[in-house]
Amino acid sequence: MKKQFGFIFLILTMVLVTACSSDSASSGGEDGKWKPEKSIEIVAPSGAGGGWDTTARMAAKVFEEEKIIDQDIGVVNKPGGGGAVGWAYIHAKKGNPHHLFVNSPPMILVPLNGQSEYDYEDFTPLVNMIADYGAIAVAADAKWDNLKELFEDMKKDPSSITVIGASSPGSMDHIQFVKVAKAAGVDIKKIKYVSDQDGGALTAVLNGSADVYSTGVAETVEQVKAGKLKVLGVTSEERLEGEVLSDYPTAKEQGIDATFVNWRGFFGPPDMSEAEIKFYEKKFKELSESEGWAEIRDKFGWTEMYMDSEQYKEFLAKEKEELKKLIDELGLGK
Amino acid sequence: MFEGIWTGFQVAFSAQGLLFVFIGAIVGTLIGMIPGLGPITAIAVMIPITYGMDPAMALLLMAGVYYGAAYGGAASSILLNAPGESMSVPTTFDGYPMAKQGKAGKALAVAAIASFVGGTISVILLTFFAPALAKVAVSFGPPEYFALMLMGLTAVASFSDDSTIKSLISATVGLMLATIGIDSQTGTMRYTFGNPNLLEGIDFLVIALGLFALAEVCSLILERKEKAANMNKIGSLRLTKEDYREMAGPMGRQSVLGFLIGVLPGAGGTIASFLAYISEKKLAKKPEEFGKGSVRGLAAPEAANNGSSSGAFVPLLGLGIPGSGTTAVMLGALIVLGIQPGPLLMSDHPDVFWGVIASMYIGNIILLILNLPLIPLFAKILRVPRPLLTSLVIIFCLIGVYAISFSTFDLYLLVAFGILGFLMALVKFPPAPLLLAFILGGMMEQSLRQALTISNGSFSIFVESPIALSLLAVALLSFIVPILKNRKKKKYDVDNQMEI
Repeated sequence: MKKQFGFIFLILTMVLVTACSSDSASSGGEDGKWKPEKSIEIVAPSGAGGGWDTTARMAAKVFEEEKIIDQDIGVVNKPGGGGAVGWAYIHAKKGNPHHLFVNSPPMILVPLNGQSEYDYEDFTPLVNMIADYGAIAVAADAKWDNLKELFEDMKKDPSSITVIGASSPGSMDHIQFVKVAKAAGVDIKKIKYVSDQDGGALTAVLNGSADVYSTGVAETVEQVKAGKLKVLGVTSEERLEGEVLSDYPTAKEQGIDATFVNWRGFFGPPDMSEAEIKFYEKKFKELSESEGWAEIRDKFGWTEMYMDSEQYKEFLAKEKEELKKLIDELGLGK
Repeated sequence: MFEGIWTGFQVAFSAQGLLFVFIGAIVGTLIGMIPGLGPITAIAVMIPITYGMDPAMALLLMAGVYYGAAYGGAASSILLNAPGESMSVPTTFDGYPMAKQGKAGKALAVAAIASFVGGTISVILLTFFAPALAKVAVSFGPPEYFALMLMGLTAVASFSDDSTIKSLISATVGLMLATIGIDSQTGTMRYTFGNPNLLEGIDFLVIALGLFALAEVCSLILERKEKAANMNKIGSLRLTKEDYREMAGPMGRQSVLGFLIGVLPGAGGTIASFLAYISEKKLAKKPEEFGKGSVRGLAAPEAANNGSSSGAFVPLLGLGIPGSGTTAVMLGALIVLGIQPGPLLMSDHPDVFWGVIASMYIGNIILLILNLPLIPLFAKILRVPRPLLTSLVIIFCLIGVYAISFSTFDLYLLVAFGILGFLMALVKFPPAPLLLAFILGGMMEQSLRQALTISNGSFSIFVESPIALSLLAVALLSFIVPILKNRKKKKYDVDNQMEI
């Protein structure tokens, strides 16, 4: 009891201290090594509670609890424009390595849709940490039992099937579906995609207003367990691990050569030095290997996907190229 | 089932359990009093704190925070005309006039009691009907939502006492403002003028605080002499028998209605509290008292929005679908605690299911016990000398807006809406229709277009669904009836004059 109380007090103090702290004793800088000289800010370019926010808060928590970084780490929300507002904020911190941010595929998709003037290339990709995958699900009593059947019907009469997702056209839920459908030979321009950003997408599939639910795998597990949804395919390379998850067939094993990774990692402002990048690579590697982080990964159903700065850059360049093709074909590109 | 709820209560009534609810209620009330920081932020802040705690205790803490924040929001609406959340807007309609008349204490007491009653009635409904109602929660698709929003929107016609045209103009401006931002069906930018700050549209809070709180500050400054006398009186907390009688009907009805609307994912507290206000105004024998400090007008939306808060737990606990922003954050919190809400929650984790419900009973009671004695303390803010108070309200609004967007651009917008609100008050344009249309307009447009995409452009989709059809019929009636009534009344007036 007392312990819990103390814990709460500690957190509250930490929050306050993070908010007000400026400099602290430690400083480094000898022979190409760099250490943060003051508290670090991690920006979640979204409101409280979403995927970026959770990743940032959990990373900050484990960093401090496992004493991987001995500076205070504060998480700040910069919502707006699907991330664009937060990116503009970080871009203005050019050369200041105490500001990081969390990101994922929208970092590529939003600029491709012409909704942000900054692209991932305008920042310093530091590390990727985790991966999540997409699921294509339908109501449990739907007539399709696998992706092949669904796409056959879609090829015949695209206007009879409604696909629903939580993101806007050209963003994740739409694009992951389009990517798989295209590989299956569907005319992607004719796909009827409805966006429901107020959380009604799952409801719409359950009550039959929409037919296909394009979402993340984690969102489907409980519904599948309860016999309300069935997952026709997931976008990972191989079958996922875990109860229920391992039953989901991949698109690949159904002969559709397409994958979609919802990667999530950390970026810094433009113009970071080699020493600064090395510092964060090392620390995030430690985080990725820590027990605390493994526990959190399990809890949220994330897969480990660590990449250092160089690997990350290559990966992102490839992703961008592929996604650009899709967006252009859909006629959404700017 | 009774075994379940009994275990839940045992956990909640332990010394530790009570302490956590108590701490939660205090923290929640304080956070909720700051405009812009509502239940969503309060719970999000709690997530890292509850990490590693016993899930039952964590839930108790969060139930306290949740109810506390909702009540805190009512306090700033009543005392400062600064609604921090869309669902507490109708609370200002009669709550703030009461405070102005020197009855702030009474207004806060009415809000506390109505919240308690709304919360408790709806938790009882939740206890007995959650599994059955889960079906209702998924009965609404895009066409039904469109019809519901349209019905909510017809409420604008009942807001004006003198001119329906002014209400409609005001509502039209609200609808226009709702179109700003990235269109979610096509990804097209509308009226953003290349400004990234407008990409996600204007935040509700900017408009609400501008039109209500800042506009009121302007009026207060102008009329500083006349009204100064009354407003720093707090008045007695005590409610008369008469007051209780007045409140009973609206509280009972609106708790249930609010609960049912809350059950629908996405509809939530705002529609519940606006509909509560409007329907009570229509039922009242003296509708002209509404907007001038009516106890009924304050009790109805407060009972309804608390009712809907519990209602929102039906889809969350029964189906794993978060129906509102707050329950979405709650969902996140449960996941952190190692519980994945879904259709099987009740059978897989009965302890959690009943723990949440028991904690809601306790949360409601603790909040009432905590807040009644604190009312004089809260209300003291009105004793602050007028020039200082008005500056405080301004700062409050600025902080509230900055806290959600961290953008200075929104602060300029806030000031602009403050000026607009003041000008509207000068020429007697009611601000409520603008705000209501702004809140509903975005959702209404999206559900209309979703429905039409699904039906490949055919409007028959609205007629084929019995729910949508009946909602549309109610919408039509509530629009036509007042017009007919007015006509009758005018005729009556003319006849009367002739007699004279």
